Amino acid sequence: MSLAGAVERGRHLAAWIAARRGRTALAWAAATFLVLAALAGGPGVARDEARVLERSDAALRAPGAVPAEAPPFAAEAAAAARALAVPLGLSHLRAARLGTALLGALLSAALALLAWDLAGPAAALLAPALFWAAPRHLHAGLVATPDLALAALAIATALAWRRAVVDPDARARVRASARAGLLFGAALAARADAWVLLAALALHAGVARLFRAAPAPGALEARLRGAPLALVSTLVLGPLVLLAAWPALLFSPLARAAALAGPGAAATPLGAALSGVPASLQPFVAAALTLPAALLVALAAGAAHAMLRLARALRGSAPAEQAADEVLLLACALAPFAAAAAGIAPASGGVRPVLHAMPFLALLAARTLVAAARVAWPSRAAPLVASLALVVLWPAVRAVAHFHPSGASAWNELVGGAPGAAALRLPRQDGGEGVVRVLDAVNARARDGARVWWPSLAPAALRALGRDGRLRADLAVADGPDDADLAVVALDGTGRDAEYRAWSAFRTARPVAGAYLDEVPLALVYARPGAWR
Amino acid sequence: MSEVTRLVRRAASLARDRAATQVREGLYGARHALAWLWSHRPPPRRAAALLFATALALVSAASVLSQARLPGRLPTALDWAAVRALLERDARPGDAVAVSPSWAERARELLPASVPVLAQARYAGEDLVGVRRVWLVSLADAPGFRWDTEMDLAERAARSEAPARLGAIEVTRYDLAFPMLPLAFLPDRLAQAEVSLGGARCAPEGSGRFRCGAGPGAVEVERAVREVAGVPRPCLSAAAAAPFDAPLVVAFPSARIGRTLHGHAGPAGGAGVAPVRVAVLLDGEEIGAAEVVSAGWAPFRIDLTRGSGQARPLSLVLTSPGRLALCLDAVVLP
Repeated sequence: MSLAGAVERGRHLAAWIAARRGRTALAWAAATFLVLAALAGGPGVARDEARVLERSDAALRAPGAVPAEAPPFAAEAAAAARALAVPLGLSHLRAARLGTALLGALLSAALALLAWDLAGPAAALLAPALFWAAPRHLHAGLVATPDLALAALAIATALAWRRAVVDPDARARVRASARAGLLFGAALAARADAWVLLAALALHAGVARLFRAAPAPGALEARLRGAPLALVSTLVLGPLVLLAAWPALLFSPLARAAALAGPGAAATPLGAALSGVPASLQPFVAAALTLPAALLVALAAGAAHAMLRLARALRGSAPAEQAADEVLLLACALAPFAAAAAGIAPASGGVRPVLHAMPFLALLAARTLVAAARVAWPSRAAPLVASLALVVLWPAVRAVAHFHPSGASAWNELVGGAPGAAALRLPRQDGGEGVVRVLDAVNARARDGARVWWPSLAPAALRALGRDGRLRADLAVADGPDDADLAVVALDGTGRDAEYRAWSAFRTARPVAGAYLDEVPLALVYARPGAWR
Repeated sequence: MSEVTRLVRRAASLARDRAATQVREGLYGARHALAWLWSHRPPPRRAAALLFATALALVSAASVLSQARLPGRLPTALDWAAVRALLERDARPGDAVAVSPSWAERARELLPASVPVLAQARYAGEDLVGVRRVWLVSLADAPGFRWDTEMDLAERAARSEAPARLGAIEVTRYDLAFPMLPLAFLPDRLAQAEVSLGGARCAPEGSGRFRCGAGPGAVEVERAVREVAGVPRPCLSAAAAAPFDAPLVVAFPSARIGRTLHGHAGPAGGAGVAPVRVAVLLDGEEIGAAEVVSAGWAPFRIDLTRGSGQARPLSLVLTSPGRLALCLDAVVLP
């Protein structure tokens, strides 16, 4: 088939998919699930993910160990996915990550639906692509951390919430309100700082009430004294869902209150590297340094465009209802940044603390690209949208392909990629996941029965990799460098004292193998004489 | 005035007039073009959309270009092999390799094991004990490259050779003007030392390692490489999980004494450190002491001229009111 033929076929397929709202959402959900499921085996297991896996699977815990308290959604999703997929022949790790793949599908579908409602079919086709075409976003969809779960539930909550506010049918509003409440509860069960979404949704409710007529007498909203039904539902159902998912909250609520209030801004390698930047700006800087540059420009333009539209609506030069939608999108996009800046979001690397803002920014960017094409060249808007999409997505997809499976090590062109980031002492990975890239070398060349020390890898991660056959069965785990034959260390921005202790114990500073990303070391293997074949 | 001069002046005047006319016409044309463009300008919204699309295209092109150029800015396996061959041929005892930028630590894996690799961001104030010449291996085209390492080494060098370009790697040799060549690096002599805590001898556990006491209050002393202020430091590491009251004595039975004992101390592995007093005993008599309270790699200097030129027993006495996680190095300088 010629290139022109392929383009024509692609155009027809896109037109067929974009002809129906539900079809677009389903197509995106299916494509997302397939891609995430196919790539899920690649990334290593960082310490954050190891904690989730440990909670989801007793076999990964140390004997007698009690897992740390945390919102349970991610662990439950991993456990359910593993229970379903392991009997089908998938490895335990890939099966556990299928829960995230399903949530990724939910995210794509909800994003496409909301984009369709707010900006039409072209934006519905484009918005999920703009979200996933960032290496760190894709990486979040491949591992079993709660960040992508929160992003998916946030966009799904916003979709249901908007329907609950704008749908003219009272019954549909009730159903949507119930959905919004349930989804918000699930978001709370995914990550403790999800409550900031409620602030964004309440702001939208207030603005929507300002610009809409009073509820008809006898309507449910009127009986609730004007309080938006969705807000009531969210306030009631949200905590109920959280309690149902995490019943332990009932028994010792005070002990878990700290976790619910947010883990606070603990020091992270990224925070240390950005110590010259005011704390309130650090989440923005982290996003600006990790998103591919063209995508960053599109997302920033999307936010600016939304502010412009809001200003026009407030001035009266645009429909008043537009103001409510702009407030919903902007508030949902900016609330996670505010939470991260205030230290409410978990202290994790890269864009993970604000990942749930990114679907909203992707939607705004898609809408802006479509609007720009329509204004710039009205008669050729469709090809121009496609061209702009290509312009934004091409370098971003190249970056995704380049960094996979080390998506958490991705830095953009403004920094100079991984080498530029290393020169600025920015963290090279989330938490030891780069070790997975030297496992093949260790399996191939470690002497029989070698004792291996893994100072950067969480014990649960090691057990997960071992159970899946990624590590040779005869290799033993050493407790320290003195009783080890090999040491496998990750360079993840935390201290390197463990590596230097291995130098002392093995009397060499020369690694026998390493994993490098654009020449930047991610993991190194040291060996005693005779332990490496 | 000769005829020739008059003709030349006339020609110059003509040329000047012609140039002025051309400039005037050019400006006139440009003004008209701008006026035409301004009168045909798109509406502000369309102009903004066009500007946005153009900016997006430019950023995208720059991104793709940057991605495509990156591999060419980084060394290949062949480049590293060339550096390895160069060092195998020309390196001598007393040489070290410094990599710039400091993250380019593939050098540890690929360069000859006989040449130690230093990977620090800066070398100003670093002792570089025992190093006479430094081979600087630079990835000068790498993103984020800075010349700090070059400047630090150039300041300390008596002479340097012109950089040799091996693919994406530049290799420059610096001969240090004042290499620090000690009579003894005390951590390396720990295997021959006696260690005691409060007068009780500590049991040796392998070469260069001692354990004083038992249980959680035990003190461990060993020759190790520890991270202090983000840099690997070969040192005498002393660690105790609980405070100890008695002095920890590391006695070297016979050390060649020079003029100065120069050392550093700092918290090992990023741990906090309580103030530590390091006293030096020569023949059992205290000849100097230093209080180390800094959180970084704090230097100290003790005058040894009393016993200079002789081989005599030398002891380091450590006392600290708190828990100990100390990395201590000390060299005897001639």
